[in-house]
Amino acid sequence: MRLTALDRLALAAGLTRLQGLAEAKAIRPGLDVHPADAAADARFLAAIADWCDRYTPLVSIDGEDGLFLDITGCAHLFGGEQALLDDLLRRLTGFGLEAHGAISSFPGLSWAMARHGAAGIAGEEEAERIVAALPLSALRLEPELVARLEKLGLGRVGDLIGMPRAPLARRFGPALLLRLDQALGIEEEPVSPRRPVAALSVERRLAEPVTGEEDLRMLSMRLAEALKPQLEARGLGGRLFELLLFRVDGHVFRLQAGASSPLREPKRIASLFSERFQAVHDDLDAGFGFEMLRLNVAQADAYDAAQQDFGGERDRSESLAAFIDQAVARFGRDCLLIAAARESHRPERAGALSPVFETGISVAPSVSPLPFRMERPFRLFAHPEKVEATAGVPEGPPVNFRWRRTLHRVLRAEGPERLAAEWWLHKDGETAPPRDYYRIEDEGGRRYWLFREGLYGSGAEPRWFMHGVFA
Amino acid sequence: MAGDAVARERLAALRQTIARIEGRAPEHFQEKQAPVAHPDTAGAQAGSGFRGGDGARLLPLGVAALDEALQGGLPLDAMVELRGEEMRDAGAVSGFALSLCARLTQEAGEAGRRFFFWIGERMVALDTGLPHLPGLADHGFSHARLLYAAPKKIEEALWLAEQALASRAFAAVLMEVRGNPARFGLTESRRLSLKAREAGLPLFVLRQAGAEEAGSAVFRLRVRPAPASQRRLGSGSPLSGSLGFPVFHLAVEKSRLPVHAEFFLEWNPHDRRFRTVSPVPVSRRAPENPVAAFSASADRPDRAREMGHVLAFNGAFNRAS
Repeated sequence: MRLTALDRLALAAGLTRLQGLAEAKAIRPGLDVHPADAAADARFLAAIADWCDRYTPLVSIDGEDGLFLDITGCAHLFGGEQALLDDLLRRLTGFGLEAHGAISSFPGLSWAMARHGAAGIAGEEEAERIVAALPLSALRLEPELVARLEKLGLGRVGDLIGMPRAPLARRFGPALLLRLDQALGIEEEPVSPRRPVAALSVERRLAEPVTGEEDLRMLSMRLAEALKPQLEARGLGGRLFELLLFRVDGHVFRLQAGASSPLREPKRIASLFSERFQAVHDDLDAGFGFEMLRLNVAQADAYDAAQQDFGGERDRSESLAAFIDQAVARFGRDCLLIAAARESHRPERAGALSPVFETGISVAPSVSPLPFRMERPFRLFAHPEKVEATAGVPEGPPVNFRWRRTLHRVLRAEGPERLAAEWWLHKDGETAPPRDYYRIEDEGGRRYWLFREGLYGSGAEPRWFMHGVFA
Repeated sequence: MAGDAVARERLAALRQTIARIEGRAPEHFQEKQAPVAHPDTAGAQAGSGFRGGDGARLLPLGVAALDEALQGGLPLDAMVELRGEEMRDAGAVSGFALSLCARLTQEAGEAGRRFFFWIGERMVALDTGLPHLPGLADHGFSHARLLYAAPKKIEEALWLAEQALASRAFAAVLMEVRGNPARFGLTESRRLSLKAREAGLPLFVLRQAGAEEAGSAVFRLRVRPAPASQRRLGSGSPLSGSLGFPVFHLAVEKSRLPVHAEFFLEWNPHDRRFRTVSPVPVSRRAPENPVAAFSASADRPDRAREMGHVLAFNGAFNRAS
């Protein structure tokens, strides 16, 4: 067991990274040791990255312990770059974290500065001067490569800058020059954000943290109202909204709510989130309150503005859409189902239910009915249930059957109607046994749809299943 | 005499107020007071069809005796409970409810384009199946549109029903519950019933495998399955052993009138019409157009084999060797 990370006190006591635990304990008997948990560290870093959303939407994670923030065009919102950096570091220190930060024009340069004690702000022209003074490890190189370079007496980045490039590349590979160029800003380096950037977003910072659900509802309404002119200006309506709640202690909650049609009405957007608040009620721990809210439009579509008519039919379809959005926001997407007719003779496929949120409420074009088919049950079991049936003759309808431990005596039966598998859809469709369907009435007047799967004399014994219920 | 008239006036006003509170048509009292007027009002109600007295919207079932027991038909702005005694009767209960919806589609031109909302608890769907579109079309529900919800809990079902009624986007709401859940008691039922009245939409509560329970429904009908009528041949005579239109055995368990009436209703999905039929079990009747239980061979009858030509030699040889 080895030490993986040390705090300031431990370093002062003379302990080093990768030191054996037994050795370290021998040096400092009172050493406080915690087992390393890489996954928890990663989660923690992701939570900080979420929190950093308050400064810019472009946040990316760098290794195990770093974050890149692309603050292009954001600094003025915080009173300049220095003020932003101070605010960020002060807040992180407030969380009990030790953080270093640097602002420069290039990610590579910022990385080198933040990790090697040259914290602050650097302009483009200062890049070479600052980097030259830093050790080679500031270049994000492999440790072996750094060791090889140091063996040759190259201790500082400045030693590399003046050297001829071709021999360097030949001897140490292209990575060395790439990293050097990135630090100097000669090579472009994109920062890829963790999350897709929202098409639109509005936020509200609060002087006093709020905790109550009522306040949150009211604030989401205000945000939605602020969003409306922006959506109107672009001719868009939101399909997917995201509400970010920044808690005082740095935790960030993300709530998503979808709409079945492009939406820009503040009242409806707010009502979606009030359903979400209801649904996540217990998980939404307000703690000491939320200090900032942001409403993102994660997905937007063209909004077709339509004129109101006096008939009220449009009103009705709108209230239907509003109801669907509300129910979906509360119970999830597969709560509301709609029956869509398909061209198939297979009962499972012919009238399958699909989530209305995906298919929409427009009625599917009517499917031409099969030239002849027997009546279908109006309730179909999702999975046919096995029954024990006794037939008078092998190929005939059942005389009685046992379904769910109850014996039903068959008085009348109609059938069979033979339905084969759809060989053009399934790999085993050609060999799948055909089904013989019977309409059956038992002595109580209940009508069922039973089928026998398989043929006599073709190996496996045919089996009986219950597939549906008639009126 | 004048005082008498004033008193009668006041009495009538009070009765109307009570009727309004209870949500029923006030003409009923006049019917009782003046039995002579009864056929007229009944005829007027049957004729006007969709609209009952006092603006109350009614759905007549088209069967005179039943409509009379229901005072003109099922109210379209109230909660109506349809109860099945056993889980395996669920087909009949939901079938009857869908027949009502189909009639509603037919009666209301404008409402016919609207969606029906069917809330089925997930457990009920496991027990009795999910709605199947081709089957719904066969049941006379062809042009109507159906939105189906599968909530996990009764609370969710209640919320959905309430919101669906409040949105007024649907032609009717069907809520299917299993048994008599404690979370759907008198308070909740009262609440839903008020919502239905407020929205002016019908709410059908389908209680599968449930017992009689005090509720806030205006009517409670018990639905049992009954043997289907036989298919009719071209000549009009029934085809023996065939399964024709479904028949429901209906009993009015709760209504404003102290009646207990039972009906056997045949549902014709093509005309979307109910008809009373006699409840004689099919099996007792003498078959009119008997059909052979097994069809004749398509090719020719198998010829009788000659006896004594084939012996079980194989078995004997195997044993010997």
